[in-house]
Amino acid sequence: MKGWRDDVPDEPHGHHCGRPAPVRLSVAIHEQLRAAVDGQRGTEAADRLCEACVVLLDVDAAAISIVFDGASSGTLGASGEPARRYDELQFILGEGPCLESVARRIPVLVVDLADPEEARWPVYGPAMLANQIRGVYAIPVVVAGEFVGALDLFRAQPGPLPDDELTSAVTAAELAVIPLLDLMDGDLQAAVADPHSNAWAELNALSRAEVSQATGMLVAQLEVEPAEALIRLRAHAYATGRSATDVARDILDRRLLLEAD
Amino acid sequence: MTGAPRETRVLDAVVSIVDSLLDDFDVVDLLTGLTERCTELLDIEAAGFLLADPLNKLRLLAATSEEARELELFQLQADEGPCVDCYNSGQPVSVADIHGALERWPRFVPAAIDAGFASVHAVPMRAAGIVLGALGLFGSRRGELNDADLLVGQTLTHIACVAILQEHAPTPSTVMPQLRSALTGRVVVEQAKGLLRQLLDVPVEDAFRLLRTYARANGEHLTDVARRLMTDRYSRLLIVTELDELRAGPL
Repeated sequence: MKGWRDDVPDEPHGHHCGRPAPVRLSVAIHEQLRAAVDGQRGTEAADRLCEACVVLLDVDAAAISIVFDGASSGTLGASGEPARRYDELQFILGEGPCLESVARRIPVLVVDLADPEEARWPVYGPAMLANQIRGVYAIPVVVAGEFVGALDLFRAQPGPLPDDELTSAVTAAELAVIPLLDLMDGDLQAAVADPHSNAWAELNALSRAEVSQATGMLVAQLEVEPAEALIRLRAHAYATGRSATDVARDILDRRLLLEAD
Repeated sequence: MTGAPRETRVLDAVVSIVDSLLDDFDVVDLLTGLTERCTELLDIEAAGFLLADPLNKLRLLAATSEEARELELFQLQADEGPCVDCYNSGQPVSVADIHGALERWPRFVPAAIDAGFASVHAVPMRAAGIVLGALGLFGSRRGELNDADLLVGQTLTHIACVAILQEHAPTPSTVMPQLRSALTGRVVVEQAKGLLRQLLDVPVEDAFRLLRTYARANGEHLTDVARRLMTDRYSRLLIVTELDELRAGPL
């Protein structure tokens, strides 16, 4: 993104004017998070993104979990085996960061599981403490307006996430949309079709008004939920080698009718 | 409305918006109303609020028009134009004649001319020194945004910030969820427009007007109606039936 003024540097999100910025997101971290999902698909991209979070943020483990349709839930990507265990445990126990974050539709930031006042997860809490994890932070992942999963971060050291790390975590949760879409796609055709896809460009296309409008039309036509409708639109775009925006316009203008399964 | 001096009209507008803020309000609906106020109080034809997402892209939150061409113009502003420059610098931008700005914004200027605009301006949305986005203003005639107009724009933009952040102090852990919530709300409203296009066979602009009329008539948030339409199949049938009847009458 080029600024027109030479004296003002190009600033990424939440930039501050004239003072040190509490919400300033370092360009380096932003770029590295993006690089983690580019050139990878599905579980590989999810794993790479989690690994990047552990390297770039002051956390010990990261995982991306999914709660979709109630029926399919679990860990789709993790920074390592411990992260995968911490994340899967919540589905076994029926309580935990992703589940709460999705249910309440907000980030869930637990600064110290060892705090006697902290009683939100009566079984998961002690189980995590037994793993020497005291800080747990979950940022919801939103696909087509639906809260379908979360980026879960785990830390041995208790305490709040610093502002800039929280901002990075939210960015990572946005980037997690692409691997999540890959994995929610039932036949994974879209996921394997284009290993060189540009996740960044795709995310931009998916946030356009006409893509959302076309998603709404598909919800009515195919009688599916919004996230499922978006997956179908995207799969069609991949299958025909066209952009999501072009497919959306055809659907809106009634030049294209997608088949129900 | 046009008889009273401008200061009176601005005060009236601010008072009525503050009343909304003190009551139960929907962010997308309130901000759409704010953009409409801009066109009434300033010598401009179209306005749009753009908010930055966590990936640092400006996204349209509300605009005076749901017409496709103007929406496209607003969306183009994610990459280039007065709002991007305003967001990057944190300072207002005012271009009295866009014909002179072709080199500066090679894609935005032709699109703006094509949509019938001659002047463009942008005012930053700020809270606690953090720039959250920008208010874009478009005029069909050439002309500067003078200091008085700028003040009106900044006042309305400030109200927009308060509306988005609501009563939460602007720290990152509160700002981020509010911004995401506002943008997610917009996504759901866009989906609802598409759904109604399919089920009622109306243009998406009309779908938006129907949604808004229905929400107000039922004392519901615009975003909540949209969400119910998208995720609750039982509600959907009832709402669509009522909207069909609404459509037959005046909007």
